[in-house]
Amino acid sequence: MFQKLRRSTTLLSVAALTLGVVSTGLLTSSADASTNTPGVTAKTITIGASVPLSGVAASYAPVSGAANAVFQYINKHGGINGRSIKYIRLDDCYDLAAYGLGCTAGASTTTLSQNQVLVAQDHVFATVGSLGTAAEDSVLSYLKQNGVPQLFVASGSRDWNQPSIYPDTFGFQTSYVAEGKIFARYIKSHFAGQTVGFVGQNDDFGADGYIGLTDGGVSIAPANDLSYNAADAISGSSSDIQQDVATLQADKVQVVVLDSVPGFTNGLLTVAHLLGYSPQWIISSVGSDPTLVNNAGESGAISLDYFPAPTDNKDPWVPWLRKVLLADKTDFPAFTASSPLTGNDFYGAAYAVAFAEVLKAEGKNVTRAGFIKTLKSMTLATPAITPLKYSSSNHQGLLGGVIATIPSNGGNPPTVVVEPNTTVFSTGNTKSSPISVSTKLGITTIPSWLK
Amino acid sequence: MGWLATLRKQETTHIRLVSVLALTILTLAITFVLSPVADSQLAGGAAITIVILGLSWLIGWSGQISLGNSGFMAVGAYTTGIWAHHHAASPLVITFLLAMLVGGLSGLVVAIPSTRLRGPYLAGMTLAFAAAVTPLAQNFTSVTGGEGGLFFNTLATPSWFGHLFSGVNASIDSNAQWTADLAVAIAGVMFFFMANLFHSRSGRAMRLVRDNDVAAELMGINLSRTRTLAFVVAAAFAGLGGSLFAIINATVRPESFPLTLSITLLTLMVLGGIGTLSGAVLGGIIYSFSPSLVAHVNSLTGVNPTSNLGSNMQGIIFGALLILTMLFAPRGLTGLGQRLRSFIQSHM
Amino acid sequence: MSSFLSSSFMHNIFGGLAQGVIYSLVALSLVIIWQSTHVLNFAQGAMAMFATYVGMTELERGVSYWWCVLIAVVVGMALGGVTERVLIRPLYGKPEINPIVVMVGFLAVIEAVATSIWTSTTRTIAAPFSQVYFKSHGQLILLSPFVIFQIVLAIAIMLLVAALFRFTKLGLQLRAAALAPEVARLLGVRVNRMLTIGWMLSAGVGAIAAVILASGSFGLFPTDMDGVFVAGFIAAAVGGLESPIGAIAGGLLIGLAEQFILAYWTPDVAPLGGVIILVIALMIRPQGIFTKSVGRRV
Repeated sequence: MFQKLRRSTTLLSVAALTLGVVSTGLLTSSADASTNTPGVTAKTITIGASVPLSGVAASYAPVSGAANAVFQYINKHGGINGRSIKYIRLDDCYDLAAYGLGCTAGASTTTLSQNQVLVAQDHVFATVGSLGTAAEDSVLSYLKQNGVPQLFVASGSRDWNQPSIYPDTFGFQTSYVAEGKIFARYIKSHFAGQTVGFVGQNDDFGADGYIGLTDGGVSIAPANDLSYNAADAISGSSSDIQQDVATLQADKVQVVVLDSVPGFTNGLLTVAHLLGYSPQWIISSVGSDPTLVNNAGESGAISLDYFPAPTDNKDPWVPWLRKVLLADKTDFPAFTASSPLTGNDFYGAAYAVAFAEVLKAEGKNVTRAGFIKTLKSMTLATPAITPLKYSSSNHQGLLGGVIATIPSNGGNPPTVVVEPNTTVFSTGNTKSSPISVSTKLGITTIPSWLK
Repeated sequence: MGWLATLRKQETTHIRLVSVLALTILTLAITFVLSPVADSQLAGGAAITIVILGLSWLIGWSGQISLGNSGFMAVGAYTTGIWAHHHAASPLVITFLLAMLVGGLSGLVVAIPSTRLRGPYLAGMTLAFAAAVTPLAQNFTSVTGGEGGLFFNTLATPSWFGHLFSGVNASIDSNAQWTADLAVAIAGVMFFFMANLFHSRSGRAMRLVRDNDVAAELMGINLSRTRTLAFVVAAAFAGLGGSLFAIINATVRPESFPLTLSITLLTLMVLGGIGTLSGAVLGGIIYSFSPSLVAHVNSLTGVNPTSNLGSNMQGIIFGALLILTMLFAPRGLTGLGQRLRSFIQSHM
Repeated sequence: MSSFLSSSFMHNIFGGLAQGVIYSLVALSLVIIWQSTHVLNFAQGAMAMFATYVGMTELERGVSYWWCVLIAVVVGMALGGVTERVLIRPLYGKPEINPIVVMVGFLAVIEAVATSIWTSTTRTIAAPFSQVYFKSHGQLILLSPFVIFQIVLAIAIMLLVAALFRFTKLGLQLRAAALAPEVARLLGVRVNRMLTIGWMLSAGVGAIAAVILASGSFGLFPTDMDGVFVAGFIAAAVGGLESPIGAIAGGLLIGLAEQFILAYWTPDVAPLGGVIILVIALMIRPQGIFTKSVGRRV
């Protein structure tokens, strides 16, 4: 009997000792906010984001980098209503840290764990520009439970547009469904009668894009509705890409819509080249940036764009962004006056500008509820070429864009996107919402306090 | 003689109950002083402890090398995910019991081809099962939510618990701690169950089958049934652990349970001590605080955490620990603790 | 004829064989180790990957591809020998789970070290063979010069290993040391040295597999051999860990199964090809299809 008692005492003491030793590094004192709103003091406002700074999706790191550049620029010019903006970006490796692949955040990091740090340790006012569909889906409920607004989620999923369930969650970019509908309209007017195929990522991105296409009236034979596995970036297998392209080629598909991220766009184009297959490619805005795809096969492809073409210096936002990035030596150490601007840079800058504008309108007294209310009442001036306006029924953000083309570059990989015309298409997520056509580009004057 | 034996057995069970209760209460007390982030880490560790308890049973006591436990965790997690999707308001107890049931059933399914196998073939079969989980989850999208996975609401903190906290961050702190406390409490319960199993007749039969199956058969023990029971129990525990994981994270994705997790479980179990109860607890603790441990090592050695070397420290440290443990201390930390204790005792 | 060769059925045969030979090589390397030391080398794939990295860093300095392959094989063999001597030798006679766990730990260390040194960005290794598929009369045949090289090299290695075991004195000694170590010792065979050589041989074979894999469209990255190892292991188990022929056959079978599942079912489920075959095989013959029956010792 004493044996058992001794055994359990040993167990108890071992556990207690270990816990004691290990936990001494982990007791934190909660930072006292001098107002009742977390993250807001008289002199600062602290916001955060969980973004892929390393790992599979590290090519998206400049998005939050550009946003930070904008915030730094604003801080250097006096901040907003006397407050400087502190932007904490934590690496969540796209919520795939366990797979390594260049992730430097540690194998047990998850989007949830990083958001817990942001919320429970750093006490952020809101998350701004966190990136990734599945990554951010995983913290929808956590942020709601803890009352933290989730602003400008960098993903085209419809999940951020659920005002009745998640009233403090807002998206930013044109949804994949809307993009699909706009592509459908383009296909019907320019490629009528041709066989259309689809290769989409095996998640919301692909599924929503497909819905948009079919809702928009394009018919795709079931055999030509294909997907690739995003997780193949992890296992390194590309056999499904090979299979997808071979199938489309065998079915003599003439127009192929790709809802793929840049890495896989590149893979798909490479396989097509090896197989000697060259249809008309229509590539989602998410995966068409030539500087990221870097593949000669992208010549002649079509995409959707909701930011100005990076070479369009007539748009005042373009030289402005260049100025802002040049000034941020920490996030953009190698950026020079002749470096190309990418869609990533515009994206981050746009949501940063949106945040700053709402903050300015809030004045001295900033609360979460007040901020959300103001957000839904303003039309926001950002680098985006379509207007940004949230409402009680629209938490999606941008609603459309222009059709862009990727011109060829001799035999080399293309480097730029051009926007040949100024027709802007906008639409909602439902099948019945119409596509509105306009030629008016969004607000292209920069607010005076931002210049 | 019979009633004396029964009486003694009851006494032992009571002592076991008291010590487990004390340990659990101590751990709960500790959650009060830990930061919310540390509490979340501890919650994960508690879930892992439950899984390792089952694994210890299977590998340590039944002698069957299994690399498939990440698969059983996935079964439990997806069961919970699918259930929570459709029955969001059902009591937690039902959710957990369901996860254990389905987990145990999957253990039965895997056991059917596996219990005839030995050594590397068994390892191969269970490895194949664990490797199959991710593709299966990715493919049957309508059930599993495919690549994107399933999401459900985070655990709701009861109001009586919330009232224990005050200040601006009260709700954040209480939410984090409730999750940790729940996980620790469940781990305590499962620890008690496993402790009883270890000392039961089934446990002894299990060890006999492991060490000398011919003698066991001669004694009338059904080999295949004993081995199958080991699988079912391990799978049920893993299913519960996976379910708890899913609930803590309010999400389940195909990538949540990769093959490398099976290997991590093996590592933690070995470091803690194969086939011991305290080993499972130690394994869970190591899991919870390994990121902090790695960070400490990085700062001690002056390595930049985001450099190439720094971000791979976890793999290097754990791999090296595993090798050194197997070569010099094959019974893990528990074994070292026992050696230390007998050393002290013999020198008293 | 050419339209038959470009039929989708033949596409799948070629694709399956190309992948299958890599699995066969890995399975063969596992069988060599199992036969000599009764250990399952979980770090097999990782060791081969490491050797490939060392060999291929020379490629960037302008060294010819063939020299790099040789370097990779030599490094692999050295690594295998050292591993046996330092990590495995102390564990003979201990419970069989011990070397498995040590090798798992070794796997983690190797992959972490490789990632620290070379990062996990995929590297393209340009083999001196084109990867563009052949076309006959405008129709695609899923063979390229590289795929042919892949298959020929793998078969050559397998034949070399077979010849080593059947026709050389070293091969005879290796077999003796594996089958009856005490008797072999009495006859003057340096058994411990044979065990080390067995590991070296296995690691060399594995290195070839990793080199082929890295030179294809897959590219080279620290975890590239993980999936291949699982498939190779399953192949070895299906064929029976005692039988080199079985390992080779198992590898080809699994490669083909994966390819056909990919083509006729969905790509997601392709990795299950190996699992399905394993379950069927082990249910029929729990000791592996090609193993001779062994009685149970009482």
